[in-house]
Amino acid sequence: MPKLPGGELASRPLHFIWIADCSGSMGVDGKIQQLNFAIRDAVPHMQKVAEDNPNAAVLVRAIKFSNGAQWHIAQPTPVAEFKWLDLEAMGVTDMGMALSMLAEQLKIPPMSERALPPVLVLISDGRPTDDFQKGLSALLGEPWGRKAVRLAIAIGEDADYEVLQRFIGHPELKPLQANSPEALVRHIRWVSTAVLKSASAPASQPREGGVSKLNVPIPAPPEPGPDVAEDVW
Amino acid sequence: MNQLLKIGMTVQTGDSARSCRVEQFLGGGGQGEVYRATLDDAAVALKWYFPAQATVQQRRNLQLLIAKGAPTARFLWPLALAVAPGVGGFGYLMPLREPRYKSIVDLMKRRIEPSFRVLATAGLELVHSFLELHAKGLCYQDISFGNVCFDPANGEVSIGDNDNVGVDGETGGGVLGTPRFIAPEVVRGEAAPSTQTDLFSLAVLLFYMFMIHHPLEGRKEVAIRCFDLPAMTQLYGVEPVFIFDPADDSNRPAPGYHDNALVFWPIYPQFFRDLFTRAFTEGIRDPLHGRVRESEWRAALAQLRDLIVYCARCGAENFYDAASGQSAGVCWSCRQPLRWPPRLHIGRQVIMLNHDSRLFPHHLEQQLYDFSNVAATVAQHPGNPAIWGLKNLTGRNWVITSGEGAIKEVEPGRSVTLAAGTRINFGGVEGDIRC
Repeated sequence: MPKLPGGELASRPLHFIWIADCSGSMGVDGKIQQLNFAIRDAVPHMQKVAEDNPNAAVLVRAIKFSNGAQWHIAQPTPVAEFKWLDLEAMGVTDMGMALSMLAEQLKIPPMSERALPPVLVLISDGRPTDDFQKGLSALLGEPWGRKAVRLAIAIGEDADYEVLQRFIGHPELKPLQANSPEALVRHIRWVSTAVLKSASAPASQPREGGVSKLNVPIPAPPEPGPDVAEDVW
Repeated sequence: MNQLLKIGMTVQTGDSARSCRVEQFLGGGGQGEVYRATLDDAAVALKWYFPAQATVQQRRNLQLLIAKGAPTARFLWPLALAVAPGVGGFGYLMPLREPRYKSIVDLMKRRIEPSFRVLATAGLELVHSFLELHAKGLCYQDISFGNVCFDPANGEVSIGDNDNVGVDGETGGGVLGTPRFIAPEVVRGEAAPSTQTDLFSLAVLLFYMFMIHHPLEGRKEVAIRCFDLPAMTQLYGVEPVFIFDPADDSNRPAPGYHDNALVFWPIYPQFFRDLFTRAFTEGIRDPLHGRVRESEWRAALAQLRDLIVYCARCGAENFYDAASGQSAGVCWSCRQPLRWPPRLHIGRQVIMLNHDSRLFPHHLEQQLYDFSNVAATVAQHPGNPAIWGLKNLTGRNWVITSGEGAIKEVEPGRSVTLAAGTRINFGGVEGDIRC
């Protein structure tokens, strides 16, 4: 017999969606393998963050784009049950198509009217080969698309920084540059933990943060510590 | 991955340059990382700040806190600064939290199932700890789910993340708090964190603990589609309305969305609900004078603990409510009628005399909350199990006066039968048994 009545704290769904570039260039230098590794590595940490957060029911899925786009993990999956399926690289970079498909899924329905801001993470190493703007307009045409926390990770030097910045849509947030496997792991970990937490239960608010134009406070991305011998005090 | 310190390395304490070995990475937060470490063969926790958080101000604040010392043993208080050759920044050492403590998040997710008595004890320990902290001229600034843990077996609390504690009125840097817990005037940008805003956050945390719900999330929350920061600012800052505000029903809990609030609220006695009502009505309108103070919560939670009664049919804990008159109502769990056991009145305190009820120093003297020191316990007559009594576990005689006026002494170790009309003089105070 339960000692207390009632149930868990009421929570809202939080949709977390990976948007992954699987174009042929991702097959060069093991980039797709690095991405698969980085996301696999982040999953348990993501689950831990969700476990510690009573305000959100985190649901994860993934969409991929190369020649066209398709849902890689279509079902919004409770994060505790989420398993990453490896991506393979081939074809072109139909990023616009992926955003259009995403926009379809952010309509109400299938999205619920009440939720926490979705988190959309776009990962790419190149330039879109289709009509990116059409896809972005469709995405931003949906209320949940506009309200979503949109983040981007640029893999390598050839990523289209400007396109990723347009996807983010806020000048104060920049695409994260991943020029090494370590940086990719760090960025993927950050979006799937710190940002995930912030979208549902923002951590302590720094007093001198100023007034942000963002509807979700995005914590500072992690930086590798400076190689200083010792600080002076 | 992202670890600031290496396992096996040694850091030095700032004061006496004692060596402390880093043993295990425990976790990372917004400000830094926490490790298990060994200092003089004892396990301690070591927090190391991210470079951006390792500020001169943070260091000064830690030095101040270390010098002041912990307000009570319930705080995992900074023990010493730590520095490391070859590593930038600094950290600090604190006691390691024992694994028996579980977080309020575990309660919110119902991964632990404490009793009402444990909840009341944890609440009492919590407000008592904050009373001691505030009495030292300090404010916590960031009361939230993550910072308070309790032992679900006995309600002992453990308060962490004390490095943001500052001197009230002088908290220049640091944090505004955690959304959902921040006082409305701070959310609106009209005030900085202080002991007064701590009182609001404390009331929110207590409401969460006792209702598994937020006090301002009612119909207004249902109407919000995207629950982002602007929405939170509106709900918790610009237009905060208590879900049970007797003068404003615009934000009542909505069935299907806020069922916990609807289920828990009527279970508690009127005086306890009134205190929450004051905390979230006057306490919002008048941050300086309207808030419920720690000592008021402490007295209320001690009283709540004493009002627990068990359903004779299913054993569920219910509460005696003097405001409901003679009607005992029905059990929240099995819906069968409740019966009140005998009760002891001592001054304004009412203690329900269940089979396992105990008296503690705070019942018989002033202000001393010590649940390890039992002063009396309800006991069964060894020869006749149908007779129940109150056993004297103090070191001095009680003097009882029966309903018929007969006077007797109850020596330590002996018991007085629970009979209506019996008056017990405990020494300093007197109580009477009612049925």
